[in-house]
Amino acid sequence: MLTAHDQDPAAPSAAAPLRIALMSCAHTHAAAYAAQLAPRGDVELVVADPDGFGDLHRARVVGSYEEAWNTWPGGPDAIIVTSANAHHRDLVLEAARRGVHVLCEKPLATTVADAEAMVAVCREAGVVLMTAFPVHFSPAVQALRTAVADGTLGEVIGLTGTNNGKLPAGRDWFTDVELAGGGSLVDHTVHIAEILDSAFGAPATVHAVSNRILYADRAGEGAETGGLVTLTYDSGLVATIDCSWSQSADAPTWGGLRLQAVGTGGQLQIDAFAQHVGGPGTWLPYGTDLDALLLDAFLDAVRAGEAAPPTGEVGLRTVRVVAAAQESVRTGQPVPLG
Amino acid sequence: MTSTSPPAALRVGIVGTGGISRAHLPGWREIGAELHCHSHEGAEDFAASSGAVVHGTLEELLAAVDVVDVCTPTPSHPEVVRAALEAGRDVVCEKPLALDPEVARELAAHAERVGRRLFPAHVVRFFPQYEAAERALDAGAIGTPAVLRFERTGSLPDRSWYADESLSGGIVMDQMIHDIDQALWLAGPVERVFAQQSIAASDSAVRTAHVVLTHASGALSHCRGFWGPTGTAFRYTFDLAGDGGRLQYDSAGDPGIMFDAVASHRQASGAGFLPDVSTLRDPYAAELVEFIAARADGSDARVTPADGVRAVEVASAALESLRTGRSIAC
Repeated sequence: MLTAHDQDPAAPSAAAPLRIALMSCAHTHAAAYAAQLAPRGDVELVVADPDGFGDLHRARVVGSYEEAWNTWPGGPDAIIVTSANAHHRDLVLEAARRGVHVLCEKPLATTVADAEAMVAVCREAGVVLMTAFPVHFSPAVQALRTAVADGTLGEVIGLTGTNNGKLPAGRDWFTDVELAGGGSLVDHTVHIAEILDSAFGAPATVHAVSNRILYADRAGEGAETGGLVTLTYDSGLVATIDCSWSQSADAPTWGGLRLQAVGTGGQLQIDAFAQHVGGPGTWLPYGTDLDALLLDAFLDAVRAGEAAPPTGEVGLRTVRVVAAAQESVRTGQPVPLG
Repeated sequence: MTSTSPPAALRVGIVGTGGISRAHLPGWREIGAELHCHSHEGAEDFAASSGAVVHGTLEELLAAVDVVDVCTPTPSHPEVVRAALEAGRDVVCEKPLALDPEVARELAAHAERVGRRLFPAHVVRFFPQYEAAERALDAGAIGTPAVLRFERTGSLPDRSWYADESLSGGIVMDQMIHDIDQALWLAGPVERVFAQQSIAASDSAVRTAHVVLTHASGALSHCRGFWGPTGTAFRYTFDLAGDGGRLQYDSAGDPGIMFDAVASHRQASGAGFLPDVSTLRDPYAAELVEFIAARADGSDARVTPADGVRAVEVASAALESLRTGRSIAC
C-alpha cells in the first residue's frame, strides 16, 4: 500500500516521532538497539520477530515482517535490519521499494552482488542506506583518523588491527556459512576494514589465510574461526587485520578492537574497548555508548533524508574486501581489488 | 698428593667488534673466557674496554682460540664461519647464519662434516618471556596453537650496511628473523609465506614489514617488524591464541620499574637498536653460557644449526614474496 508519506520518504516531519521497525531478532544487536530506541520520545518502535526468538521484551513485538510494515498506516519511516546476514538483501530491497530508509547490520551482505544491488536500489529510490558500524563512532577511532589526517603520525606506512572475540554465542546462525556468509573472516574483518576505509580509502590488494582450530567443536560446519587479512594500498601502506575468534571462552569480556598505526612521526595504538574497571574475572565497561551514537547518526540522517557515514557504500566496499579475502584463501595468492 | 693446576680458561675469539659484540661481553666474562678479537675497524677500542688480545689477521686469531664468536656484518658470516671450522674451531654465529639459504645449509653441513659445533645466536629464545611461553605451550597451556602474532619495534641500527638490503637482507632478514624463529620454535615448520613491506617515501630509514606464515600444523603466524624514526623505543610483543587458551606479552606493559614523565626526562633511554635487558637474566649471557655447556657435554643446544638454517629459509621465502608479490611455498 503506497501512501502520501511513502512517496516523500526524505522529509518526515521534524516534530513527529520517527516510526522505526526493527526487522528481526536474529542478530543479538537487535536487543541493544531496542533498548536504546524504546525509551526515546522521538521514536515509535516496533520489533518484528518472525523467527520467534521471543527474548526481546522491551518493545512492541510482532510476529511477522508484514505486521511490522503495516504497524502504521503510512508504514515506517525507517527500518533497522538485524536479520541473519544472508537475509539482509531482501529486507533492504523491500524497504527501498516502499521508500523507507535503512540502517543495515554489518556485514551489509554475504555477496558482492547482493551488496551492489542494495546500494544501487536504495540510491535509485532516494532512501538512506547506512551500515551499522558502531566502532566508527569510537573516540579512540576518531583519534586515529585525526592523527592520520593532521599529520601527527607523519607518513603512515603500516597498520596492525585486531578484532578478536569469543565465538559468537546466543544464535547459531553466526557460524552457519550459508546464513552468515562465512566465519570469522566475514564477522570480524569488516569493522577494521571500515575504519581503514574512513582513514585511507579502499585497498589495492587483499591477501588472507584462515584456519579452523579455535572453537572447532562449536563453530558451524566449514566456518573458519581464525584468519589474517593483509591489505596493501597504492600509497605503499600495508595493513594486517587479525579477525580471529581468539578470545578465550572464560575471558571476562567478549573481545575487543585494537589498531596500531606506525609512521615517520611515530606510533599510535588505540583500543576501542579498553575503558573498563576490572578485577579478577570482572570487566565493567564505562566507555562511550557506541550504539547510541550510531543510532543518533542514523536518526539524524533519516530526518535530513541524506546518509551519513558509515554509509551503504562503505558497507559495500568492506564486503568487497571480505570477498577478496575469501578468494585469496581459496587461491593462496593475493587478490587485486577492481 | 699431586697439585692440579686450575683448568685453562676457554679462549674465545670475537670477530667483528661492532654493536652486537659488546652485548656478548657480559656472557663471555661470566664464563671466564680469555678474550681475543679481530676486526676491520674498532678492534683497539674494543680491546681497551674488554681486555681482549687484538689480532691483526683472522688466521692469527684462529690459531689462538678454542671458540670463534662471529659478530661481523651479515655478508661476511659465511667466510668467517668456514675459516673457523676449517681451523677446527667451534663457532657461535650471529643471526642470520647467511643471507642465502643454500649457503646456510652448506655451513651447517660443513660443521657436521668437520665435527665442530655451530651455534646460531637466535638470542630471543633466551629471553625469559619467550622461554616461559615456549614451556607453557609445550605443557599444553593454550591447547593447539591457532593464530600467533609477533611484533618487534626498534630503529634502524646506526650502521650504513643495515640499510643496504643486499648486505643485511633488510628488516625481514635482520630484525624480523627473530620472530620468524619464534614462530618456528612455537608452532613448528612453515609451508607458506606471504610478505609485504613499506618503506617511507620521506625517510627510507623508517620501514615496516608484515609477514604471514602458514605452518604445517595449520597454525597461522603474523610477524610485524618496524624500524621507526629516531627516538623509537625498543619494544616486543607476542599474542599466542590456541583452542585451549591464550598467552600475551608486551614489553611496553612490563613496568617493573617506572619513572614518571618528569623523572624520565633525566633518564637515559636506549638507542632503540637493542632491547634493554637490565632487569632480566641477561639473555645474551644465558645464550653463550648454554652454548658453552652444550659444547662441553656434546648435547644439542636450544638453537641447532638446522634451526638457524630454517630461519634463513623462511626469511628468504619472505624476501622472494616481497620481490614477486606472491605467496611462496617453502
